[in-house]
Amino acid sequence: MFKKISLEPSRFALHFAVLVIIILWTLPTAGLLISSLRDKNQLAASGWWTALTSADRNQVGRMKGKADQGEKDGKFVIEGNLFEGADAVSGKVSAFGTKVQNPGANPAGSTVELEGGQTLTVNADGTYVLTSPTAFENDRGGRVFYISSQPPRFTVENYETVLFSQGIGRSFVNSLTVTIPATIIPILIAAFAAYALAWMKLPFRGLIIAIIVGLLVVPLQMSLIPLLKLYNAAGTFMGVPSKTYLGIWLAHTGFGLPFAIYLLRSYIAGLPKDLIESAQIDGANDFKIFRRIILPLTFPALASFAIFQFLWVWNDLLVAIVFLGSGDDQLVLTGRLNALLGSRGGNWEILTASAFVTIIVPLTVFFSLQRYFVRGLLAGSVKGG
Amino acid sequence: MTAQILYAFITIIVGVGGCFGYFYGSNWLLDRVLPADASNDASAVRNLKLQAMIRPWLFLGPALLLLTVYLIYPVIETIWLSFHGKAGEDFVGLSNYVWAFSDAQFRQSIFNNLMWLLVVPAACTFFGLIIAVLTDRIWWGNLARSLIFLPLAISFVGASVIWKFVYDYRGEGQEQIGILNAIITYFGGDPQVWISLPFWNNFFLMVILIWIQTGFAAVILGAALRGIPEDTLEAATIDGAGPFKIFYRIMVPQIMGTIIVVWTTITVLVLKVFDIVLTMTNGQWNTQVLANLMFDWMFRGGGDFGRGAAIAIVIMIAVLPIMIWNIRQANAEQGGH
Amino acid sequence: MKKNLFLGAALAAIFVTTPALAELKYKPGEDAKFTWVNLDELKKVDLKGETLTIFGPWRGDDETHVQVVLEYFREATGADVKYSSSENYEQQVVIDTQAGSPANISVLPQPGLIADLASKGLLSPLTDADKAWMIENYGAGQSWVDIGTAKDKDGKPQFLGFSYKTDLKSLVWYSPENFADAGYEVPKTMEELIALSDKIVADGGKPWCIGLGSGGATGWPATDWIEDIMLRTQPPEVYDKWVTNEVKFTDPAVTGALDIFGSFAKNDAYVDGGAAGVASTDFRDSPKGLFTTPPKCYMHHQASFIPSFFPEGTKMGEDADFFYFPTYASKPELGKPVLGAGTLFTITKDSKAARAFIDFLKLPLAHELWMADGGFLTPLKSANPAAYANDAARKQGDIMATASTFRFDGSDLMPGKIGAGAFWTGMVDFVGGKSSADTAAEIQKAWDAIK
Repeated sequence: MFKKISLEPSRFALHFAVLVIIILWTLPTAGLLISSLRDKNQLAASGWWTALTSADRNQVGRMKGKADQGEKDGKFVIEGNLFEGADAVSGKVSAFGTKVQNPGANPAGSTVELEGGQTLTVNADGTYVLTSPTAFENDRGGRVFYISSQPPRFTVENYETVLFSQGIGRSFVNSLTVTIPATIIPILIAAFAAYALAWMKLPFRGLIIAIIVGLLVVPLQMSLIPLLKLYNAAGTFMGVPSKTYLGIWLAHTGFGLPFAIYLLRSYIAGLPKDLIESAQIDGANDFKIFRRIILPLTFPALASFAIFQFLWVWNDLLVAIVFLGSGDDQLVLTGRLNALLGSRGGNWEILTASAFVTIIVPLTVFFSLQRYFVRGLLAGSVKGG
Repeated sequence: MTAQILYAFITIIVGVGGCFGYFYGSNWLLDRVLPADASNDASAVRNLKLQAMIRPWLFLGPALLLLTVYLIYPVIETIWLSFHGKAGEDFVGLSNYVWAFSDAQFRQSIFNNLMWLLVVPAACTFFGLIIAVLTDRIWWGNLARSLIFLPLAISFVGASVIWKFVYDYRGEGQEQIGILNAIITYFGGDPQVWISLPFWNNFFLMVILIWIQTGFAAVILGAALRGIPEDTLEAATIDGAGPFKIFYRIMVPQIMGTIIVVWTTITVLVLKVFDIVLTMTNGQWNTQVLANLMFDWMFRGGGDFGRGAAIAIVIMIAVLPIMIWNIRQANAEQGGH
Repeated sequence: MKKNLFLGAALAAIFVTTPALAELKYKPGEDAKFTWVNLDELKKVDLKGETLTIFGPWRGDDETHVQVVLEYFREATGADVKYSSSENYEQQVVIDTQAGSPANISVLPQPGLIADLASKGLLSPLTDADKAWMIENYGAGQSWVDIGTAKDKDGKPQFLGFSYKTDLKSLVWYSPENFADAGYEVPKTMEELIALSDKIVADGGKPWCIGLGSGGATGWPATDWIEDIMLRTQPPEVYDKWVTNEVKFTDPAVTGALDIFGSFAKNDAYVDGGAAGVASTDFRDSPKGLFTTPPKCYMHHQASFIPSFFPEGTKMGEDADFFYFPTYASKPELGKPVLGAGTLFTITKDSKAARAFIDFLKLPLAHELWMADGGFLTPLKSANPAAYANDAARKQGDIMATASTFRFDGSDLMPGKIGAGAFWTGMVDFVGGKSSADTAAEIQKAWDAIK
């Protein structure tokens, strides 16, 4: 939407300013995205902004052991390539050394004398030749340190680790089972309540509104134990488990209701009065008015609340674990990813990828509801609360 | 897997259906029991009256029930607990409150919370407003606003990883993987341990919440700005007002209501902020805030419910002024129609 | 709303009872290092249709290990065993026990937390037979019973926690090849250790990697240092009194230990990243500095579990090894103290299956299975040492066996508010620059406040 008003110092400066802000805001997330696609060794070794450049890195390789030795010109020889092997990386050796303290002691291609008359040559392509006047005796070869130029490496392995980990599918379904009703139920209940508070005649209306607004500020952590006690009592009384989906839906509904009613009431109260009055004259009762007129008109506000509630429930961990449980069968996605990190908290590659995996669903929801979102909150807030 | 999805599907249908069922069912029942088109006029009128009395409570009932169970009951329980000892059994009077106000950590938390309250809502609203004004006037404004909104969709676990890559510290002379330290060292400075830097570390934590919430402010304020009548702005332009004058004299007053709503919403959020502090520092290095302190006392090391509850009550009392202000707003509007 | 209450609950119940699928990792009867005869005894216990829920601290790799053990219990008894854990596990135990919906068995790493829960009457006591068995069969059995004993609601001491899976603290990890390249020798005494540290500094390196970061538990690795130093500078009786606060934190014995730790951790020349980096480095990232080129550090003080955080493919005994955190040559009277920790199984909701499971833990097989999987030490004398996964574990088992003094991790024994709170944060402040006297006073104040 354009507004041709005359606060235009210069179009260019404007675009530039916005661009700078956007870059500042997305930089952290961009860092995460790039990090999640990097090789896990490079991830921990260098900043994500260097992802595209190849860098000189100190590496360690291990030579072959005695099993691979051969004899040549009266000497025992072990030959091989440092870039071979399971987790070796490709690149170009610029210098090498045999002591960990000084990995770049000798330029590539040179030959160094080691103890006991041994000599070692390492070439730029990673091939090495180790010779000795006596037979090699160690099963495990010695270490060679080298500096090599590492090309940047991008990979989707991190995502594979996360997506194909045990139980992730189940957790995904659990998360949806929790989130969908926990988004829809409060919307319905709040919409009816909001309509009643905005347009219906009832005693104590002001007081009820005041209490609901006041409840906005209750920190939910403190309600965990009283509620869980209640659930256990109810569960024992009715002979059902105390940690059920119904329980968590209602918990999320309860916690989300004050904001929902607050938001929806001010929106519904802002709807044109004649619309409702003319419907009443036509003989429609409030239930009909609500279904036929209010619900369709309130759709933008409903959508905007849906986004907030969806984001909140989807990203929630605490309520899910307390009211649904942390067993393998009940874990929601956030809980599963948390468990995946578990004792291996140092694995940043899993963290980065899993953070993006959890973002995907809420982002889809956000973008599909975004149009309504803006309109819904606008009408609610312009009225001033 | 298929079976599980099927179960999930059925569970969802049953849950959501049950909710729809209640509203349809109860209203249908009401119309049935008290028919508005009753045989004689007198009873029809009486029925209509009764309907009008009962129906609001059918609409409001589930909400009031849930609010009572999930929020009011825990609040009462918490108030009760705050006058009791560790296990919630022996009555100790006000001693939990006395303890709280003599506890250094508690006072630290109050101080930090005040800083959060001063900085975060103001910064979010300020940046939100700037972004809203700027993006309103360019063709890719929607995209820009979406990008700024993006952090709101990220879980706190995700956000803490993201900021790890910003604040990370490696010893001097080593390659930094935190971008802030990388920049500092690039310009020849010494790397800093940001999250333990006395006093300022609070601000580094606040930046995270500002980063998350500014999108919310920008989207709402942006929408409000578009609601300003075009002719108001044109008139001001004709009068020769400069861009800044228009911004301060026309735009800001016009959307003052929205600004206050945004400010209030974020203020309430700040008082409840707990995840950021928990994941980043867990209140160490003098970054403790009330909500995290409460969590700590309630559940850590066996838990002391009395003290935890007392802190919760303090949080609620701290937001009382905002509550009252909000209630006034609601009531003022109430009188409006 | 009511009709879906029942339907929803019924559906949820169906959800919960889908069986987990797993296989027995070691085929019964095949490998002689396992006491397979135990399995036949176990098969006599019939728990078909019983559900046993276990809530424990193990996640990730450790969870796979515990599942291996549980699978045999499932297979033999027919019980449906459900294991779960979570990131905020310690808080959740409090929430669940308090609200009345705990697992049958809660596995707790902290005797201090057990004492808290016991004082609220939330734990079911184990039997006298369990106690007698442990005294008889565990090395230093009485001390293990003491660790699992706490006062109940009426102030009566009860045996509540069954130790299973122990960790050895008091270890210093290093890379033998790096030591060889630089010509360093494994130090035998504390004096040598300090001399070696100085030598490494003189050679231009950093001797230590110390990382205290651990999310909400940041600071705990330092408590292990303090406890180890306490045992090496003070008689064990002082250590015991310190743990119960008869010897206060402000006592010179304790502040002295703080200062010794400070001479390592607060010394910019000694630690990688400088003193400033100590508190902010994650303890899981910290040991990786041993294996970089050139090495960021040469030594790392940490418990026996730490190899799971070494870089992938690190071979124990070759790429990495450990030595006993040495004692002062000047204090021979203190002998060879060893610091350990472990997890205790408590019954939070009594049932037949829970009791049967405690009995299962008495079988050597239950220990050998996890020993073979690695990362597990046991004081059970009848467990076959051949079952240990590698020499390193066997060597650790040996250190535990030959210790002249064995003490449980002190911070775990202290009340939760101190041992998992003020002590941790105090260490962070201490490393951040606070003096030992101020730090000790702060922790002591917190302790006084909960009395």
